[in-house]
Amino acid sequence: MIILGEFALWIALPVAVWGMALGFMGGRTQRGDLVLSAERGIYAVFFLLILASLGVSAAFLGDKFEYWYVASYSNRELELFYKVTGLWAGQRGSLLFWALILGFFSSICVFQNRDKNREFMPYVAGVLQGVLLFFIIVLLFADVNPFERLAFTPANGQGLNPQLQNYWMTIHPPTLYLGFTAFTIPFAFAVAALLNGRLDARWIQLTRRWILTSWLFLSIGIIFGMRWAYEELGWGGYWFWDPVENASLLPWLTATAFLHSIQIQEKRGMLRVWNMSLVLLTFLLTIFATFLTRSGLIDSVHSFAQELKIAYIFLGFMGSLLAGCVVLILYRLPKLRSDNRIESFLSRESAFLFNNLMLLGFAFAVFWGTIFPLVAEGVTGEKISVGPPFFEKVNFPIGLVLLALAGIGPAIAWRRATKRNLKKNFTIPMGVLLAVGTGLWVTGARHPLALVTWSLCAFVLTIIGIEFWKGTRARARIEGEGYALALMHLVARDRRRWGGYIVHVAMVMIYFAFAGAAYYVEERFHVLPGDTVEVRSPFGHTYKLTYEGLSVSLGKGQRNLLWQAIATVSVQQDGKQKPLMTTEKRMYVTGDLPMTEVGIRSSVREDLYLILSALDDMEGAVRADSNAQGIDLQVLIKPLISWIWYGGIMLAVGTFVALWPSVDRRRVALEGRTETASQPAMAAAE
Amino acid sequence: MTLFVGGSLVALAVVLFVLQPVVKGLHASLERDVFELTDTEARKRVALLALRDVEYDFLAEKLDEHDYHSLKAEFTAEALAALEADERAQGGAGLGEDDLEAEIAQIRAGLREGCVCDACGFSNQVGSRFCSACGQAVAAEAAR
Repeated sequence: MIILGEFALWIALPVAVWGMALGFMGGRTQRGDLVLSAERGIYAVFFLLILASLGVSAAFLGDKFEYWYVASYSNRELELFYKVTGLWAGQRGSLLFWALILGFFSSICVFQNRDKNREFMPYVAGVLQGVLLFFIIVLLFADVNPFERLAFTPANGQGLNPQLQNYWMTIHPPTLYLGFTAFTIPFAFAVAALLNGRLDARWIQLTRRWILTSWLFLSIGIIFGMRWAYEELGWGGYWFWDPVENASLLPWLTATAFLHSIQIQEKRGMLRVWNMSLVLLTFLLTIFATFLTRSGLIDSVHSFAQELKIAYIFLGFMGSLLAGCVVLILYRLPKLRSDNRIESFLSRESAFLFNNLMLLGFAFAVFWGTIFPLVAEGVTGEKISVGPPFFEKVNFPIGLVLLALAGIGPAIAWRRATKRNLKKNFTIPMGVLLAVGTGLWVTGARHPLALVTWSLCAFVLTIIGIEFWKGTRARARIEGEGYALALMHLVARDRRRWGGYIVHVAMVMIYFAFAGAAYYVEERFHVLPGDTVEVRSPFGHTYKLTYEGLSVSLGKGQRNLLWQAIATVSVQQDGKQKPLMTTEKRMYVTGDLPMTEVGIRSSVREDLYLILSALDDMEGAVRADSNAQGIDLQVLIKPLISWIWYGGIMLAVGTFVALWPSVDRRRVALEGRTETASQPAMAAAE
Repeated sequence: MTLFVGGSLVALAVVLFVLQPVVKGLHASLERDVFELTDTEARKRVALLALRDVEYDFLAEKLDEHDYHSLKAEFTAEALAALEADERAQGGAGLGEDDLEAEIAQIRAGLREGCVCDACGFSNQVGSRFCSACGQAVAAEAAR
């Protein structure tokens, strides 16, 4: 199976070359046989990639340590679950996994469009096959072949990094990859539109679902990553502007901009060049994200230098894509010009444009902050790090403007708004903003950023609430429906609008949680069994924490575990007893340093977060010495943090509402017509 | 040996599957499907959606009455023109073409000359002083 997998990867190479060439040729010469062959090529490559992935999985499950990839990311003791997910645990497998998902999406796309949108499909097949080919080339020729064999067979593998042995970590990368790869489809349609000259909003309408799907996966992938960092890294944070995180945020930002600007093209036929550029940019950023995270570049330019081959291949691919698309856009420029203009500065169009500029500004700042240390190190040889302060300084103001726009946009009319109706629409929300701001000030919330964020949250929520209310009321009046039914029909009739508004509410929830960071409490205590410490929550109540003692187990429980020291803490909140909490130190066979497992108790208001930061006497504790029970306990209180996860769920709900397919009435009608037309004919034949 | 046979079979199957259309002359369609929106239908849909947005924005009090009427008139004209173009594209002469063309031309001219009634949005004949639908004075004339 393993060798068959390796073999399949090699067969995929000529098939992908063939498919790509025939796709473009078939489109150019309009020959149906070439196009069909190109489309079959996509299915074939997908099939071969499945074989290759099964090969890698078989190597993992069979503990075949003669393969470098298996030896580096697994060992005999690893749990079965992590052996299965070993396919995407490291760089080599991830690249194959990426290609596999792309093959899957490409096959779905080709199958869906087997008898529609045929003007686009030759080029779409060509582009998709081209991207697949790129990944196959990387896998085979960039020294990252997952099937590479070692000169000898080690007795055991090195095992998986314990920090990656976490539920969130197994679903976070695939979710992001789903987001990244799904964006290849809109990109392929955009290129196809440039090639076949059909530059109206058609390619956007065709790929709207793909764009939303990609965006959804990117969003929840990022949130899963935050959740993982929060649970597993053991310092209580969820985001620290690290290059890997930034790499996933970049395409999300441009995709968000794109989701907004395509609406202007659909409604007004404007911004065609802009949308083409955004789709290209987003696609390039998804490739850039893989490049950054999977080429070894981020650790340091020096370690990167050892992997020059993969870097050249990636840079070459991105460079030629960029050049090719710019040439195509320039070539089609006359057809891309729009005859419409934005009519008024006060209009939703201009709010959308402003939102686009802000999102791109945000993306640029993140990009620069990520890439600057690498550039600087390359030029001066000194390692400079750009930390959270830079990103926060630049991005907090932009983020707040974006939050405000999430409310302003929906409250402004398309095309024209006047000062008078702006006043009418913004009086209540502004009132709420001021009232909430003053209320918070009076109750003692004085942190300026939090104050502004929460007031803006209230402002946006009010606007969205009013939108829903007005729409429901109008519909209830016109159709004579009850309010609940009217609301349902309202949303059903224009899912994109209302789904979008629900996503805005989700963003409000997430901002609401972010601002809680201004009130984090962090204290560190040295405690012996029986000691009680007190920590005050920003909400006014007091936690009394009693350290009950340390229990150590050796080599039990999870495999790969050397020992595990569990500190038990009993919790009283304002005198009321709460469930016990634990926090651990774990030593794995595969690591040199013990890892921390934190204890988290979540509530709607705040999380209580316990970290066993140090054992007084590690060796004593492991020997179960009763005098070695002293520990350093860190107690963190994180207000509102759960709202990030609630926001994530809300975001998924909103996107689903927008994604949900509506019945194609036209198709139903047409089908009805053909059926009735064919009935008499059939009757006659009988 | 089994491996060699298995590998060859996979390779052979893939090659046959991919090459079959070229060798046997199987063709994929490159034409538009009957169920697809035609250009004129797409235009019609955009115009109707724009009308819906205008209605919604007005109901939600985001548009002034004056803007609402003029936008509505503009989009109605566009929707009519799109409908007409669509009818023509489908080959059915659904409405009296010349009459409709004339009507559209009149509406367009009305828009240019500002003969849209502020009160009800009706597009009047060029030079009208009062609205033929509701009797109100037409803005452009009334302003003189």
